[in-house]
Amino acid sequence: MNSSQRIAAARYAATYDGLSTSVQQAEQNARQLETAARILSGVRAQMQSPRVPLMHKKLIIQETLKEYPQAVRFICVLLDAKRYVLLDEICAQVQTLLDDRKGISRAVITSAQILSQTQQTAAQKALSARYGKTIEAIFKQDKSLLGGLTVVCSGELIDGSIKHQLEKLQQEISK
Amino acid sequence: MAIRPEEITKIIKEKIEHFDTSIDVNEVGSVIQVGDGIARVHGLNNVKSSELVDFGHGIKGMALNLEYDNVGCVLMGPDHNVQEGDTVKRTGEVISISVGSDMIGRVVDPLGNPLDGKGTIKTDKVMPLDIVAPGIIDRQPVKQPLQTGIKAIDAMVPIGKGQRELIIGDRQTGKTAIAIDAIINQKNIPVDERCICIYVAVGQKQSTVAQVVKTLTDFGAMDYTIVVSATASDPASLLYIAPYAGCAIGEYFMWQGKDVLIVYDDLSKHAQAYREMSLLLRRPPGREAYPGDVFYLHSRLLERACKLSKENGGGSLTALPIIETQANDVSAYIPTNVISITDGQIYLESNLFLSGIKPAINVGLSVSRVGGSAQRKTMRKVAGTLRIDLSQYQELAGFAQFGSELDKESQRQIARGKRMTELLKQNQYAPLKVSEEVLVLYAGTHGYLDNIEVPDVLRYEKELLAYVRAERQDVLDALNNAAELTKEVEEKVVQVLEDFKTVFKPA
Repeated sequence: MNSSQRIAAARYAATYDGLSTSVQQAEQNARQLETAARILSGVRAQMQSPRVPLMHKKLIIQETLKEYPQAVRFICVLLDAKRYVLLDEICAQVQTLLDDRKGISRAVITSAQILSQTQQTAAQKALSARYGKTIEAIFKQDKSLLGGLTVVCSGELIDGSIKHQLEKLQQEISK
Repeated sequence: MAIRPEEITKIIKEKIEHFDTSIDVNEVGSVIQVGDGIARVHGLNNVKSSELVDFGHGIKGMALNLEYDNVGCVLMGPDHNVQEGDTVKRTGEVISISVGSDMIGRVVDPLGNPLDGKGTIKTDKVMPLDIVAPGIIDRQPVKQPLQTGIKAIDAMVPIGKGQRELIIGDRQTGKTAIAIDAIINQKNIPVDERCICIYVAVGQKQSTVAQVVKTLTDFGAMDYTIVVSATASDPASLLYIAPYAGCAIGEYFMWQGKDVLIVYDDLSKHAQAYREMSLLLRRPPGREAYPGDVFYLHSRLLERACKLSKENGGGSLTALPIIETQANDVSAYIPTNVISITDGQIYLESNLFLSGIKPAINVGLSVSRVGGSAQRKTMRKVAGTLRIDLSQYQELAGFAQFGSELDKESQRQIARGKRMTELLKQNQYAPLKVSEEVLVLYAGTHGYLDNIEVPDVLRYEKELLAYVRAERQDVLDALNNAAELTKEVEEKVVQVLEDFKTVFKPA
């Protein structure tokens, strides 16, 4: 996806998010859109094919997504504007906007060994204190770190791994 | 040199003991698109323009386009190791180069890494590549001559220390040769007055750069020269920063009170590299598809050439930018830009080159706007009217072609002009000392060549110089030491020339 498509997706996502007046409504709308996108992923080829008439595409959507009226109207707008291809990116961006509304930050915590439940809670608490937000963390294991852990959160990389320390030491010695 | 293991162990132990084990926090983004040496990065919300970013794998980049939701970066290395989704770190630093006096005699890339296989370079300071030029208060007027050893230039288009003199011409007209001669000529100058030379190769073939380095080494000029090389196979980003890197190295020496001569070979290719980067970064194209700020690209570089005031150590940075024209078209975009920025130009013509006049300087179009005040008084007295005389000769020679009958005075002017044109020819890699230039030009402008056939002029010059070097070194010394061409010195010169009349045998 190129940068102009990302900008377009961000604008559609902001518009969709703007339809909600409360956090609950935003959450409901985001869930609707995400479910709709997941259901439609099975007919992605037909939805993106220029050989299927627009009317047929709209009929498919209206039939399959009867319970999600808000999502149906939005996806029809995307079809009219020939922006259906952006649907997945829009979903991701709507989720980010929802996280912002809820004061949630997502973090990826990578460690050399799997962290215990206590360690995971402690890490989340420490990050919440640092960023002033609720942290929803994904925990990963990467043995090449050798020890310690790295955290990517809110556009920052906190690197406390042994691998990084050794790299720094190597640079220092080679000076 | 003996290697003592215990000393090395001690150093490593010290480094480990004082190693900073604090946790690093960096702002990061992720690569969303990469190709053609350009990467678009999502994130890095606080990155600054021209900041260095780290792509990992030892590849650095420079943030140039700060856009709505991404940052356009140019990569300072090959892009095949960078993938979509890779993490990019901010460094908080602007692009800079490590400099030091150990760089003299070395060939480096624009990031300061050695390319000559002579090992690492010990440096003592880090200089940012793109800094603001010294202001008015920090400078003084250009007033010291910079001798190139080329008769035609030192006599008619004199260059002063701190000046920016453009060398412009088509391909294969001897542009680089002039710059290389000027570097080689520094060998003829006493060490305390000698310039440290920097040759910046931008977008040239590796074989050409290797040839230049070999020539400089053969003539012993690498003892005071640094070569900064960004060749045609390097990414456009390295070509773009190469002149700034050379300039930063030059400024390091200039602020130490030394004189520096820097050659940018050539700025046409530099502008093309910047155009390539700008178009790939989707900046709007302007005239000849160059971006709107291509003038600023060169003006901010050349403005850094200066003569510092005494309070600042009195160092100088003289710039000789080179521009390659297409079919003698000096009115193209980049040539006109650089002509307007510099303090004069040496215009080389392929017609003159092909007719055997080397260096192929077009006297009418070449000019030095500030060098006149820096010219040695002896040279100014000898060559004062040379430019006008040669221009008049060319005008009269044009008339003579139509077969019109000319009066005696005009015939004399034509005869003198022919001999002076012949006298100003000079072989490559054969720069002359200023005293020798003055002596030879004195002979030409005072009619000592009038009775010599044109084909014999260069032989006359050669034999005269050999004679004076062998028999009358005192005259050369007197010319060298004299601030002005006093009556006494002039009498000595006349005496030598009269004596040589009896020695020289015309063919």
